[in-house]
Amino acid sequence: MQITVNGQTQELTVQDNTLLIDLIRDQLHLTGTHSGCDTTQCGCCTVLMDQVAVKSCTILARQAEGASIQTIEGLALQDLHPVQEAFSQEHGLQCGYCTPGMIMSTVYLLQRYPNPSDEQIKEGLAGNICRCTGYVNIIKAVKSAAKKMQETKA
Amino acid sequence: MNSPKELLRKEDLRLITGHGKFTADWSYEGMCHAYMIRSPYAHAVIKKIDYQQVLKAPGVIRVITAEDVQQAGMKSLPTGSTMQNPDGQNQVLTPMPVLATDKVRFVGQPIAMVVADTYEHAKHAAELVQMDLDVLEAVTDYEAATQSQAPQLHEQANGNMSLHFIKGDQAATEKAFEQATFVSSMGVKSQRLIGSPMELRAVVGKYDPVTERYIVHTPNQGMLGMLGALEHITGISKAQIDLQTQDVGGSFGIRGGAFSESVLVMLASKLLGKPIKWVGTRSEIFLSDWHGRGLDLNGFIALNENGKILGMRFENKADLGAYTCYFGSFIGARNVSITMNGVYDIPAVSMSSELYFTNTVPVSAYRGAGRPDIAYAIERLIDHAAFEHGFDPIELRRKNFIQPHQFPYNNQIGSVYDCGEFDRLLTRALEMSDYQNFEQRRAQALQNNKLRGIGLAYFLEASGAGTAPKDQVLGQFAKEGILRIYAVTGASGQGHETSFAQIVHEKIGLQTNQIEFVAGQSDKVMVGSGTGGSRTLYGAGSAVFNLCEQVLEKSKALAIQLLNTKEDKLHFSNGSWTNTETGEALTLAQMVQKTFVEGQPHALNATGEASSGATYPNGCHVAEVEIDPDTGVTEIIQYIAVDDVGVAISPALVQGQIHGGIVQGIGQAFFEQAVYDETGQLLTGSFMDYAMPRAGCLMNIKTEKIEVPTKNNILGSKGVGESGCSGSLPTLSNAVINALRPKGITELDMPFTPAKIWAALQDH
Repeated sequence: MQITVNGQTQELTVQDNTLLIDLIRDQLHLTGTHSGCDTTQCGCCTVLMDQVAVKSCTILARQAEGASIQTIEGLALQDLHPVQEAFSQEHGLQCGYCTPGMIMSTVYLLQRYPNPSDEQIKEGLAGNICRCTGYVNIIKAVKSAAKKMQETKA
Repeated sequence: MNSPKELLRKEDLRLITGHGKFTADWSYEGMCHAYMIRSPYAHAVIKKIDYQQVLKAPGVIRVITAEDVQQAGMKSLPTGSTMQNPDGQNQVLTPMPVLATDKVRFVGQPIAMVVADTYEHAKHAAELVQMDLDVLEAVTDYEAATQSQAPQLHEQANGNMSLHFIKGDQAATEKAFEQATFVSSMGVKSQRLIGSPMELRAVVGKYDPVTERYIVHTPNQGMLGMLGALEHITGISKAQIDLQTQDVGGSFGIRGGAFSESVLVMLASKLLGKPIKWVGTRSEIFLSDWHGRGLDLNGFIALNENGKILGMRFENKADLGAYTCYFGSFIGARNVSITMNGVYDIPAVSMSSELYFTNTVPVSAYRGAGRPDIAYAIERLIDHAAFEHGFDPIELRRKNFIQPHQFPYNNQIGSVYDCGEFDRLLTRALEMSDYQNFEQRRAQALQNNKLRGIGLAYFLEASGAGTAPKDQVLGQFAKEGILRIYAVTGASGQGHETSFAQIVHEKIGLQTNQIEFVAGQSDKVMVGSGTGGSRTLYGAGSAVFNLCEQVLEKSKALAIQLLNTKEDKLHFSNGSWTNTETGEALTLAQMVQKTFVEGQPHALNATGEASSGATYPNGCHVAEVEIDPDTGVTEIIQYIAVDDVGVAISPALVQGQIHGGIVQGIGQAFFEQAVYDETGQLLTGSFMDYAMPRAGCLMNIKTEKIEVPTKNNILGSKGVGESGCSGSLPTLSNAVINALRPKGITELDMPFTPAKIWAALQDH
């Protein structure tokens, strides 16, 4: 099958039951996408598929045939993405395990709502679990990234 | 766009770009994959286990069985400290075998490990196992475990009891209760929790037959704890094990020691001559990571007519799960007792705890390990006593606070509190929460059909003195002038790389990018404790401080040479030595660069060390909640946390620890609970049915720190990792009860789910 990952189009052979996360981690060795549960609840495996946030543990690799996938490694090919910067500046991470998924979900959230309300942030991150930070600084990071991205645009 | 240099934590760049390295990210050429066969029953006699079909399955290389474990001469898992019954007899210890032999005692207990060429093959093959088991009745709580005809888990544990622990002066406490004008009691349950670090527990192991050494990757809280456990179980000297860890995705006390999978991967790697990887699924983690809490704490308080506390006692029940593992026994015994008087000057205190076995996952440390639980029990008891006997809950606390002039204060349980300014923190928390105008807000809320409540708690906890007599760190300079610091302790999100660099920068002026902190390198010989009991910052941090003092002293001699001057003509500031006569200056890094000889340790290398005692972090938290009586849903309107953490080295990291601790407390207060059915099946075995706190559960939080420096370590810092939990359990509970009390509800157990609150409101 053909798939574009972080801008690189490639031909890969997969089993019918290979999950997208296994293709990303085991075949492409992009280990920034993490597995954290078996039930599509934690969001550690979130990636963008054709610019929409998806949980890569719940998508068969074949379903991503022809799609363009962006993983955490593809977010900062040169400079850091404002969302990445904001997570660091606002201390929106501690152990860092959920962070790639949190960042990808935030990128998607800000794509939909450049200036999100509290309710939109809660809804946008409802599928991502963090056990360390208490989310307070994650929400701060989302707001600060939104602000910075708005300013850059203006 | 900013450059990565402007990032705040040294850990962050790799973690936000997907370049962190967690255990499952390690891979080796020719690596095989393991999958565990676990007990499907809570209590059963093993008659026969047939692996024939498993072995015939595609890709399967071997099944590691209990027999293999026995042949390898492995011991069971460590049981932690042994405590004594009132008659002086040791408690009943029941070490958990690496793989079950005669009996299984909880659902999820490891029975065998399947090794195959791929993960999928191993997993599918494991399903083909044929187990002939005689299923026995199970017990899952105190009532069931202690009934006269109850099935017994272990032959040696009569009535499923492990220990009756007593502490304090029983006679004096009894007398205090006889003399009391007012007596109150309050029983609380700190329900069983599942810690759930986000990183799935995993082990990657590789045995080298030539050197007879093992490389082991696995999440841990510091190398010596993990190596000690591996050595204890396998008998393989820790000198033969290279424990390599970079990033750990949360631990919270659960990952201090080895699990069955850790040593099985080592064994399989040796038997098969191949690297082996085991990564647990989340369902397996629910069934095999040690669980937390599981305590019933029943408090009694005796007051005189003025509200002075004369005595306090607790009668507790602690669920150990199926085996005594690691810190399990410590929690419901020692840890709940050491600060059982809280922040109050109480003349007579005593405690009695019964520790018992059930057919459930063994319990060990989870964020606070007994200290949040006892803080919860004390502060619920105080609030309840105030309500029952007509005292103002704030004034009742104030009246009984240990006063600043009473320090050092011996609490009669053996803890000596060194300092604290409880009244000052309380006053500040009342201000920040606008406590005095609360009744107006309650009345306003009622107009919108909402039940508003305010809760306050003052907690105190003991952060650890450590398991090792002292903490050492090695400081080694590299050619470029970079200082690499090696330590025993290991981070799992706390930001050691950042905090230790800050200590060095402040003391000897090296830039933070010239300092590298390296944890978990088992070839470095050091003494020290792991991360736990909220002690690393002041434990290893004090050793880092001492290292800096030595480097500075040694660098003076070098500066005399390099700047060609005398001691009294030298001045050190901002990381540079200056010859005050010539103005010539050299930074420490430049001095190292000039004098570095390849292959030789640099003259400025040193071993820092420090002995640090326990500290007593404390704080006053106030929460305001609003309950919708139609749905039972609680919203946290505001949370105020005023904490005394001593000297804060990295204020932002301290705040992060407090946020995280408070929200884990919110998890326990409103969402989380491990639920077993009567047959011992775990009903909350995934994130679908074990509710975790999610984004937005706490929107309005204000934290403030008041630094009362401790003298128990050179930094003046107290622990902070577990403060949030200790503060939020009683604070939130008091707030919920405060909201419900006008409806006649004065007692309710966590978690305060909408269903539970709604049902309670219907009953009243």
